[in-house]
Amino acid sequence: MNELFGSSRAARRITSTLAWLCYLFLLVPSLIVIPISFGNPGQIEFPPRQLTLDLYRQFFTDPAWWGSMVQSLLVAVATTLLTLLLAVPAAYALARSRLPGRRGLQGLFMMPMLVPVIVLGLGLYLQFSSWGLLDTTAGIILAHIMLTTPYIMVSVLSGLKHSDIALETVAAIMGASRVTIFFRVVLPQLKAAIAVGALFAFLMSLDEVVVAYFLTGTQTMTLPVKMFSSIRWELTPVLAAVSTLLTVLSLLIALGIIALQRKTEASS
Amino acid sequence: MASSTSASDLGPGTALLLLAPLTVLMAAILLYPLGVTVWTSVNNGGFTLSAYADLAQSTLFLKVLRNTFEIAIGGTLMSLVIGYPVAMHLAAQPPTRRTAYLIMVMLPFWTSILVKSFALVAVFGNQGLVNQLLGFLSGGAIKLPMMFNRVGVILGMLNFLLPFMILSILGSLLSLDRRLILAAETMGAGPLRIFWRITLPLSMPGMIAGILINVTLSIGMYITPALLGGRQDMMVANLVDFYTRQTLDWTAASATAVVLLVLSGLLVALLGRVRGAAGLSEAGA
Repeated sequence: MNELFGSSRAARRITSTLAWLCYLFLLVPSLIVIPISFGNPGQIEFPPRQLTLDLYRQFFTDPAWWGSMVQSLLVAVATTLLTLLLAVPAAYALARSRLPGRRGLQGLFMMPMLVPVIVLGLGLYLQFSSWGLLDTTAGIILAHIMLTTPYIMVSVLSGLKHSDIALETVAAIMGASRVTIFFRVVLPQLKAAIAVGALFAFLMSLDEVVVAYFLTGTQTMTLPVKMFSSIRWELTPVLAAVSTLLTVLSLLIALGIIALQRKTEASS
Repeated sequence: MASSTSASDLGPGTALLLLAPLTVLMAAILLYPLGVTVWTSVNNGGFTLSAYADLAQSTLFLKVLRNTFEIAIGGTLMSLVIGYPVAMHLAAQPPTRRTAYLIMVMLPFWTSILVKSFALVAVFGNQGLVNQLLGFLSGGAIKLPMMFNRVGVILGMLNFLLPFMILSILGSLLSLDRRLILAAETMGAGPLRIFWRITLPLSMPGMIAGILINVTLSIGMYITPALLGGRQDMMVANLVDFYTRQTLDWTAASATAVVLLVLSGLLVALLGRVRGAAGLSEAGA
């Protein structure tokens, strides 16, 4: 029974019509790129009149597109690994110490989530232009580490909250060293939380456009920046192929995260 | 929490060692550039607030500020009006079906904003799906310009904002005690009255959180107005970019960015208070 509406049929019907219109509005734009991507390479066409793989061929043979994809993947992988390396130990220290000022530090690590990206983009642009880091891969990776830190932080901190602290105490009492405890007791319990955070960070970096638009140039252009200028200036149908590839990738990552979260919920 | 299990606590030395690298990085790549921005905005051969005074008199800045508020508030209100019935629909579903519908709501959340922008142009643009259909139905008489203008920005904004609004309201609706509704119904209240007197007031915390999240997110929007709006729809973030790249006026760009930073800081603080008060910790998750 549907208590929320009382027993009014009319109310229920109106709400469900409105809801379905909204589902369509949210769903269609994400999915419509798929059929377009198999269509006419000359213009954006829906429904496509012929089915071809021409747009994918164009994407994979044009170094401007393909190269920016490789650059994006490289930046996203490097960002994810380096953020993990920095953020997991930091999260552990925040959760398992009584250092004064750790709340303030936690606030600092969460801050990139709260500051408008355009402000960060401008600040980094001003800073990197005097540090000589503009249009370098190192520069964009540094910026992305900063941007993805809060997401890994949130995930790992919640993993630490749910992990069994008694195991660590027992290991300590039995004489295990700090390092042994971290690698043998803490990390194994955090596997899922770390994986969720890593997938999030990877996707964030892969899709990030505003900061990358300020910091990259012709040498280091990432895929989102290339897409941004393409949508702005030429609106080529190749965009449909790129969009389809990205959507499939996002979906796989989303499914991975959901599956991992289910698993941790089931085991805790 | 861990007050009794001191054996698993890290000493201050170890903790510092583990925290130091990330702290240094955040100081260098987050705090420092923010500092540089603030400094650039007030430094013109010495401390001066002239950049802010100039902004306050610039017709461009004032128009952009008005655009930003109009679009952010208009988009948020529309997202509330559209999102509310969707949240009610979701709340009324049995759990398994709700999960299936939620995936549809979450899909845009997972999709790259560039993919969505491109797709919206393909659907609502002049040669897009909707206009093709309208042209076909009307024999070419009707063509609605829905992209590269205010309508385009609002459509893009809604596609981005709705999931956050829906999830916030859904959180409140799911925690609502449904026996209240049954009781009201037993005593003869009609559906409208139940909605106004019970459902709506009790979902207020979720609505307020959703509104604040939406305004905060939309006030700093850059991509959507740049790709789906026209020249007339520039928002504050686009103005920062305009000053940086077009006029190369870094002082004005920084001052504009600081204004945006303060505005969104106020909204985030407000959101923190509301969430704290309502005990909502993960409305956006």
